[in-house]
Amino acid sequence: MMLLKLITWPYVRKHLLRCTLTTAGIVLGVAVFVAMHTANQSVLYAFNRTVDRIAGRTQLQVSAGEAGFPEEVLEKVQSLPDVEVAVPVIEATVQTGIPGMGNLLVVGVDMTGDRSLRDYELETADETIVDDPLVFIAQPDSIIVSRQFCDKTGLKLNDRLTMQTMAGPRQFTIRGVMSAGGLASAFGGSLAIMDIYAAQMVFGRGRRFDRIDLAVREGVRVEEARQRIQAALGPGLQVEPPTSRGAQFEAMARVYSMTANITSVFALFIGLFLIYNTFSIAVTQRRAEIGILRALGAPRSLIRNLFLAESALAGLFGSLLGIVLGVAMARGVAGYIGEYFGEVYGVGEKAEEVAADPRLLGLALLIGVATSVFAGWLPARNAARVDPVKALQKGRVQVISEGENRLRRLVAVAMLAGAVGCVFLSSHPFFFYLGYMLSVLAVLLLTPTLCTLLTRWLRPALKWLRPVEGALAADSLLQAPRRTSGTVAALALSVALVIGLGGISRASYSTIGAWVKTSLNPDFFITGSETITQRSFRFPESFADDVARVEGIEEVQPVRSTRILYKGTPVMLVAADVEKIARRVRARIVDGDRESMYARTARGEGVIISDNFSLLRRVKRGDVIELAAPNGLLRLPVLGIVVDYSDQQGTILMSRDLFKRYWGDDTVNAMRVYAKPGVDRAALRQKLLETFGSRTRLFVMTNEELRAYIMKLTDQWFGLTYVQIVVAVLVAILGIVNTLTVSITDRKRELGVLQAVGALRNQVRHTIWMEAAAIALLGLVIGFALGAVHLYYILDVAKRDVAGLRLEYLYPYGIAAVLLPVLLGSALFSAFGPAEGAVRMSLVEALEYE
Amino acid sequence: MSKAWAVLLVAAAVVRAQDARSIVEESQRRARSGSQRYEGTLEVIDAKRKVTTKRWIYERLGSAGNSKAVLRFTAPAEVKGVALLIHNHPDRASDQWMWTPAVQRERRIAYQDRKTRFFGTDFTFEDLEERDVDRSTYRMLGEEAIEGVPCWKIESTPKPEARSQYTRLYLWIRKPDYVAAQIDCFQRDRVIRRIRYSDVEKVQNIWTARRIEVHDLTRDSRTILRLEKLEYDVTLPADLFTLQALRRER
Amino acid sequence: MIRLIDVVKEFDCKRKVRALDGINLSIDRGEMVALVGPSGSGKSTLLNLIGTLDRPTSGEIWLDGQNLSGLTDDELTRIRRDKIGFIFQFFNLLPSLTCVENVALPLHLRGWKKAQARARAEELLELVGLKHRLEHLPDELSGGERQRVAIARALSVYPPILLADEPTGNLDSKTGAEILDLIRDLHERLGATVLMVTHDAGVAASCERTITLRDGRLAGDEVRAARR
Repeated sequence: MMLLKLITWPYVRKHLLRCTLTTAGIVLGVAVFVAMHTANQSVLYAFNRTVDRIAGRTQLQVSAGEAGFPEEVLEKVQSLPDVEVAVPVIEATVQTGIPGMGNLLVVGVDMTGDRSLRDYELETADETIVDDPLVFIAQPDSIIVSRQFCDKTGLKLNDRLTMQTMAGPRQFTIRGVMSAGGLASAFGGSLAIMDIYAAQMVFGRGRRFDRIDLAVREGVRVEEARQRIQAALGPGLQVEPPTSRGAQFEAMARVYSMTANITSVFALFIGLFLIYNTFSIAVTQRRAEIGILRALGAPRSLIRNLFLAESALAGLFGSLLGIVLGVAMARGVAGYIGEYFGEVYGVGEKAEEVAADPRLLGLALLIGVATSVFAGWLPARNAARVDPVKALQKGRVQVISEGENRLRRLVAVAMLAGAVGCVFLSSHPFFFYLGYMLSVLAVLLLTPTLCTLLTRWLRPALKWLRPVEGALAADSLLQAPRRTSGTVAALALSVALVIGLGGISRASYSTIGAWVKTSLNPDFFITGSETITQRSFRFPESFADDVARVEGIEEVQPVRSTRILYKGTPVMLVAADVEKIARRVRARIVDGDRESMYARTARGEGVIISDNFSLLRRVKRGDVIELAAPNGLLRLPVLGIVVDYSDQQGTILMSRDLFKRYWGDDTVNAMRVYAKPGVDRAALRQKLLETFGSRTRLFVMTNEELRAYIMKLTDQWFGLTYVQIVVAVLVAILGIVNTLTVSITDRKRELGVLQAVGALRNQVRHTIWMEAAAIALLGLVIGFALGAVHLYYILDVAKRDVAGLRLEYLYPYGIAAVLLPVLLGSALFSAFGPAEGAVRMSLVEALEYE
Repeated sequence: MSKAWAVLLVAAAVVRAQDARSIVEESQRRARSGSQRYEGTLEVIDAKRKVTTKRWIYERLGSAGNSKAVLRFTAPAEVKGVALLIHNHPDRASDQWMWTPAVQRERRIAYQDRKTRFFGTDFTFEDLEERDVDRSTYRMLGEEAIEGVPCWKIESTPKPEARSQYTRLYLWIRKPDYVAAQIDCFQRDRVIRRIRYSDVEKVQNIWTARRIEVHDLTRDSRTILRLEKLEYDVTLPADLFTLQALRRER
Repeated sequence: MIRLIDVVKEFDCKRKVRALDGINLSIDRGEMVALVGPSGSGKSTLLNLIGTLDRPTSGEIWLDGQNLSGLTDDELTRIRRDKIGFIFQFFNLLPSLTCVENVALPLHLRGWKKAQARARAEELLELVGLKHRLEHLPDELSGGERQRVAIARALSVYPPILLADEPTGNLDSKTGAEILDLIRDLHERLGATVLMVTHDAGVAASCERTITLRDGRLAGDEVRAARR
């Protein structure tokens, strides 16, 4: 420790900026890791808290995915001997339409007896109304809102607000205000409670409930009761503790962690190279110091440990900074993820507070420090090998890293061979990821060799640009491959990361765009909710016929989509008139016979699944899938697989008749509407709105609007990817700045000699600039190549583990074209300072510089 | 000697227990009628002495333990038309449904909800059902005067199968006319609800309390029910007491 | 050839240190001068000033009839490039360049064609007796060999002035003598003006003129027939 203070601290203090920059990779790697996971956890935490608060003293919940079940289930549950209290619930999110309020979570409960499970904490003691459940129930326009909601909107007790319901626009009266805390703080306070039977009407739910909350009789073990209740109700209904909803939510949020992990690993890799580079140079610069220590009797192990301790400290510093930055970033990210989930899954959750899990932070710290120590290991070993005699002899330069080139090349080639081998075994995830890792490592290990090769090619170009300086710059790169390759490797990693992220987003856009174009071809989409992804509001089936009767409409296809549980994961079930849709949509078929599969599905003989369902759930054509429906267990063969991106977790298409039979649900949440040819679309839309607007809540979306909406969702999905791209570019720039600064400082004497033997200032400047540009170019070229490999793998990751997206390999030339000037520019920019420093330094000092 | 006394005491206790049960039985017998109809005025006075008034019409067919009843709110306007249908059974707890005209829905009052208050009054749903004599055990506690009228004080303990919210009840039954004067409802050792019967009048040969006051001691709120236009043995069609009838009438 | 008028050099450390205190000196073309004096007497400083690596605090330095004061850095560099060859005590070779590349470096900086520069570098290395070491890196050479490379580099542009800062200071006496012979030989053959800082009385004795510095002042200037 004393040594650290005596030897390390003065050096760090002298090179404070550089040392800070060195840790940039670690900082950003840890920051991304912490930010993404903390955000995910915070959203999850908020979601769980909402579940918790709404659940109250609920011990078990009965549900059928998101689809709900008929009312009769309630009496059955209430009659079970294990059940003390069982109450029905309808939960729906609605857009308030009030600016800045976002979604409102409406909870429909039975106001006659529900209070035993939940504490509404009604305040504003206007007891005659609030405390009069009779009025509340007698008047279906009654709602209770939270105090927070009142504060935000300025509404108060007995105020009215209008909501579009499935029975037309209705005014609602605030008949109660819940005080803050408890239930009222669920969903960030954007919560309203209404009578469940009123909610059935408002949301067009018919005689169905979403869920039954129950408490078991005193003295009965919850898990035992759960099993007995589950057995009594059959497999079509899930009986689970409220916490299990968090697990389902987690499955949906997992996708984000996955991409974030890849970015973190890359950033840490970059950090590794930056640290390695800086430490290697530090060892050279501090050779004399090391020599003195050794001469004074310090053993080799002490020197090694000193450098390892330094890298550990750098890692610690970087990780801590990264954690602080990450937690700060997490807030924004959490808001973003929450919004996205609200939009896509309708379970939007605002993470009011971002709470970092200490275990996560500990892990981040560990990863950061470990990376740093690992990076410092080689330089530390080299430091330990410093010969005290040679080090103390001025003018003698000991070459302390020799003879690794061959070995490294051999290892790289072996890895490459391994990676190629893994391609053939890539159906197994272990070999797939091994291949991924090996190919990246191989490219990194080959970087010095590649640098030399590329520089040789680059030399004539540089010479042509500036005969003297070009040659000098190229030679400098050629002659010090070690110094160069660290920077180039870090840069290449950043570039590859950006190429991968850019490529995947480009491929997604093109794939989703193509799907949208072929599959979403109706002229209008009619929904009860503001967006196609929300299914809170439902139409009765007869409404489709009413719409079909409107003049100018050729065909209406009613669709009921709902999220159900398939092997514990929420997937999308789409119940529709399969044949009608098949006539209109020529979906890309991955597997199956177009002629028979639609007809058979329409007859209820099986289902058609989406490609991503097949990939994510590992289901093939001909496999029999089991779907638990409230009215019984469905076992159906998969008749075909089509390309469909309606849902990230996968889609099952089945006939409406089958759905109605097994789910006892004939409601419709969306209608695909085709207009007669030649009919004015705008007028028709107007007519639809006028005809039904006063009767029911409805939204008529044109085809263009829907497409734009889906592309907007895709944008949102990739929003965080763009943030990661920016981070990657930032790391790249920091890496260049750092290594160039270090490298030029390292060459102070050399540059002094150059000037002493007659180099003009501009010659020195140009040499440094060209060197920087050349390094950037090398990094870019290797990065572009590594990016191509990385993209190949990341697309496969997306296919097999993230979204089941079968993405086309599209190299993001656009992004590559942008990277080129950006990184070259930043290289030149970062060379600017060191170059000026070099031409202004005292030659006398420089020549004596060690 | 002490042995002899003990035997005597036990015997006395048995006699007294029989006594208590028969008094309750007699009280119910005397109140028996083929049907009943009244217009009730309900005043709820909350802890802050704020008064709300509601009105309902009550019709009952059949007598204690095996009757059907409809309670239909008539005022105020917000609750007009809300109705409660009760089917009492001698051997088990009653079935209760509530009808809300605005959503056109009846809802079953679940067993578990019997202890919740009856829509802002101090009655619970359980208080509205008739109790069969055999669903409790009785013990004579002594005699006490209520408002100057001598009463028997009887402890009634619901049998476990009755699944009552109450641990026990104290009943005061007026000696002269067997009309209940007061009921104290206990949860464990605490009186949580006290029901007072007063304005006892003879209507069509049946002594009836025209004023019932429920005092919720935990919330300190009172509900006063006045029975007006009370009639016994009116002709009421049986199909009035069905869910279909509930749905028909608005 | 070299003229110094009242040259003063001060260093701004914590205390102002006057390294040179009013030096007046004149060295003619073709002279071979030894600059001697104890440590810290200002020998190296004087050499750096003459070599245009540094500027005097006051006073004038004339090289080849040109006053250095008032020139820009680049103008100084040009003078250095064209007129001065430097031999450092610690060689100051670029470790990443081979011998021939090190020697050719100044030529490259002057924009010579590669082949031309290489030919000259080879010729010079041959001159200093290192023909067999052309493609070696400095680290692979002995101290004497390195100094020869440094000398070859200093001579690459055939400078009229050769400045040497303890050229034998880091060498054993035998090698030192060889190097000294080499310098003298070059001086005679190429006719360059040589100014050599040295500690070694023997080295100084081999020069025609010895200038002694003490505490930044001129303490002696002795001309004699060179002892071979």
